Amino acid sequence: MKMRNLLAPIALVGALVLAGCSGGGTSSAPSDSASTQAVKGGTVYVLNSGYSHLDPAQGYDTGVMDFYRLIYRTLTTQGTGDQANEILPDLATDLGTPNDDATVWTFHLKDDIFFEDGTPITSEDVRFGVERSFDPDIAVGSPYARTLLADVDGYEGVYRDGHLKSIETPDDKTIIFHLSRSFPDFAHAVSQPVYTPFPADAGVTTTSLDEKPIASGPYRVAEYTPGTTLKLARNDYWKASSDGIRPALPDAFEWNMTLDAATMDERLIASQGDDANAIGSSIQAASIARVQTPEIKSRTLSGTMGCSTFLALNTTKEPFDDEKARQAVAWAVDKSSVQNGTGGTLLADVATTILPPQMDGRQDFDVYPSTDHAGDPEKAKALLTEAGLPDGFTMTLDLASGTVSQAQGAAIQQSLEKAGITVKLNSIDSSSYWESVGNAAKENEAVLGAWCSDWGNGETFLPPLFEGSQINDVGNYNWSQLNDKSINEKMTEIRSMTDIEAAGKAWSDIDKSLVTMAAAVPLVYQKVVLVTGSNIAGAYSDPAFSGQIDLVAVGLKNADE
Amino acid sequence: MATALNEVTVESGSVGALFTDSAPTPGRRVWRELRTSPTALLSAAFIIFILLLAVFAPLVAQLTGWGPNEFDPDAINPDLGGLPVGPGGGIGSDHWFGVEPGNGRDIFTRIAYGARVSLTIAFAATLATTVLGVLAGMLAGFYGGWVDQVVSRVMDFLMAFPTLIFMIAILSALPADNRLVLLVIVLSVFGWTYTARIVRGQTMGLRTSEFVEAARASGGRGLGIILREILPNLRGTIIVLVTLSVPAYIGTEAGLSFLGVGVVPPTPSWGKMIAQAVPWYASDPMYFIFPGVFLFLTVLSFTVLGDRLGKILDAGDAA
Repeated sequence: MKMRNLLAPIALVGALVLAGCSGGGTSSAPSDSASTQAVKGGTVYVLNSGYSHLDPAQGYDTGVMDFYRLIYRTLTTQGTGDQANEILPDLATDLGTPNDDATVWTFHLKDDIFFEDGTPITSEDVRFGVERSFDPDIAVGSPYARTLLADVDGYEGVYRDGHLKSIETPDDKTIIFHLSRSFPDFAHAVSQPVYTPFPADAGVTTTSLDEKPIASGPYRVAEYTPGTTLKLARNDYWKASSDGIRPALPDAFEWNMTLDAATMDERLIASQGDDANAIGSSIQAASIARVQTPEIKSRTLSGTMGCSTFLALNTTKEPFDDEKARQAVAWAVDKSSVQNGTGGTLLADVATTILPPQMDGRQDFDVYPSTDHAGDPEKAKALLTEAGLPDGFTMTLDLASGTVSQAQGAAIQQSLEKAGITVKLNSIDSSSYWESVGNAAKENEAVLGAWCSDWGNGETFLPPLFEGSQINDVGNYNWSQLNDKSINEKMTEIRSMTDIEAAGKAWSDIDKSLVTMAAAVPLVYQKVVLVTGSNIAGAYSDPAFSGQIDLVAVGLKNADE
Repeated sequence: MATALNEVTVESGSVGALFTDSAPTPGRRVWRELRTSPTALLSAAFIIFILLLAVFAPLVAQLTGWGPNEFDPDAINPDLGGLPVGPGGGIGSDHWFGVEPGNGRDIFTRIAYGARVSLTIAFAATLATTVLGVLAGMLAGFYGGWVDQVVSRVMDFLMAFPTLIFMIAILSALPADNRLVLLVIVLSVFGWTYTARIVRGQTMGLRTSEFVEAARASGGRGLGIILREILPNLRGTIIVLVTLSVPAYIGTEAGLSFLGVGVVPPTPSWGKMIAQAVPWYASDPMYFIFPGVFLFLTVLSFTVLGDRLGKILDAGDAA
């Protein structure tokens, strides 16, 4: 239930795309272009803009979560290849054994699992990893320990408050989690990075892991200069036999984090020298036309990000406290020009629902149909007249300074103009954007928002964005500032449902109510286009990581090149 | 630059000095010499063209049929990342200079409106810095002493500033409500010192010249002398400074817009267009070339014209 920087995935940042998305996506199958068998050995080069944190208690964006799987293991994790949409046991022997109401979960650890120094991974270490993530200094990562475990009120991590009562470790191989409520999806939750084990007795502090991570996965960090370079070498103590998920074919990985987006595109397209063994993030809209030749097309991958970009309308501000004014905006927005601004059909699909297509139980509907999704200014004007605003109004839209956001903003501005609504653009620097719009009191009439699910469960998507109790003074994601009684009640109701399928459909029903009342206007679902070096094999766009290439599965066609 | 007394009196008609009909007025002399310089004529012609384009931008929009912010979804190909349809970035009878990728806005109309923004800012900033700079420079140069000390130290202070960095910092920190005015203010605050410095030097030379002494001897007071005797003698210098600072401000404004702290979108600006065109340089080079060429030619024209004017006026002074 969280998002991150969907801000400039295509333009500037690449890897900084948001928190995990997954579920029943459509784009998970390995693409034909990369179907040549990958071989063991060689070095894979990665061109991107770097990672937020090597400490998994703090990193919570899809770029870094994809990377974590190379050096860390968790109790469960997403599969690779054909099983990319499935959650599979990783350190644990199975997906956990719940009690009757799914409030107590027991996991058993496999044999032959080690840290990079050769010490075996025990249940103590898993517990330590979770407990340290509660420390206020680093509690900025994935929320699925803080929000799910029982007895966490006032708990400030293992360094200050000792052990957490709700995690038991009866022996070295067994760990038991007590949850604050029934959560049938807990096997997904323990795949989140906050559940990464660390040796409890090795002097790990709140800051040490960002500098010197302790690997449990197939690779260890050999060299790291933040923002410049990162080199991984094999972790000799990792046993392929205890890990059925990661092929981990290359002998090493090497990052170049110093390039700008255009240079990355250029190098991946040229694929010269070491760049033949290189992968990167999604290319920019400007490079799309250049990857249409058969040679480059054969090494291009595409996929969905599993995220939703939408226009959140602040229901506490005039005129958007009036449903009709909000619906007028929903009618007027030209989604196809927003799609064009995002990079055209290859980088975005037009969105008519807030939930993106891969969500469980998601239904497709369009409450505001118009020809080619180009908007209907006449209907908008009629609604404005009904709302007592025949001359339109002026509103301010908060948006990030990245190229893509700016293009989307310009498209919204231009289409609302036709309905007599004047939009002022309030550009906020991308690096501080979410912080700024998270300040509920300072939020303007509308926010250009984006959200990615952590997995296919609607609970990871709609409540943070639209539940009344989740309006916070700071760090707010309910940009609509919606506190609607019936929506709140329905959300509480779904949480107590144990039938995951029925819950999925119920979330989609809420989605429809939200779009109908126009608390937010869905705009586009963004997609990725990835160009790989000519010697790369086994690469596919992984919907679990916002469409980025699954790093644990990628390899080389020829290891000697 | 010691100016002959008779020319001074000719120049400053307001002083009520002698008029000698036989000698050509400086204005006529400058015009005559400019006419013989093809580069200067070409520059002047281009400047006039840009001025007309800016003033009649709404007419241009009517002529092309496209408003400056109007999208044309039919002119771009959504399957190719929004690349303009057709050769040369979509050049055709509909869009003379092609369209912007991603939205299909007409580049010619946006160039015309962008000229408005560029020239408005450049002229306003030039006016402000010239008035400020000439006043401060004359006061400092004429009075010397503590006035000179204060003005000179303020100039030193402002000139020592890493101007561009400071401008970016200020413009990003201030609210974006009225960027046009803000840009003019910021450019002026840092720009007047260059004018002031030159004017101060010239004034110091003029202060001790015979005609100023004469004015003083006949009872002229400080401010009167500055306005009646010094200022008219600075006219040539000021004209040259003005023609050279206009292109400098056009360039700076484009630079700031390029860096993302210029005018707020969707207001068209050449610098912003160039910034947006950078990633497209390989797939749609025309998007980069049009605003680039306009910016280049405008700055070049003003600079060449300023340079020629400077030379002609200098020659006149020496004569």
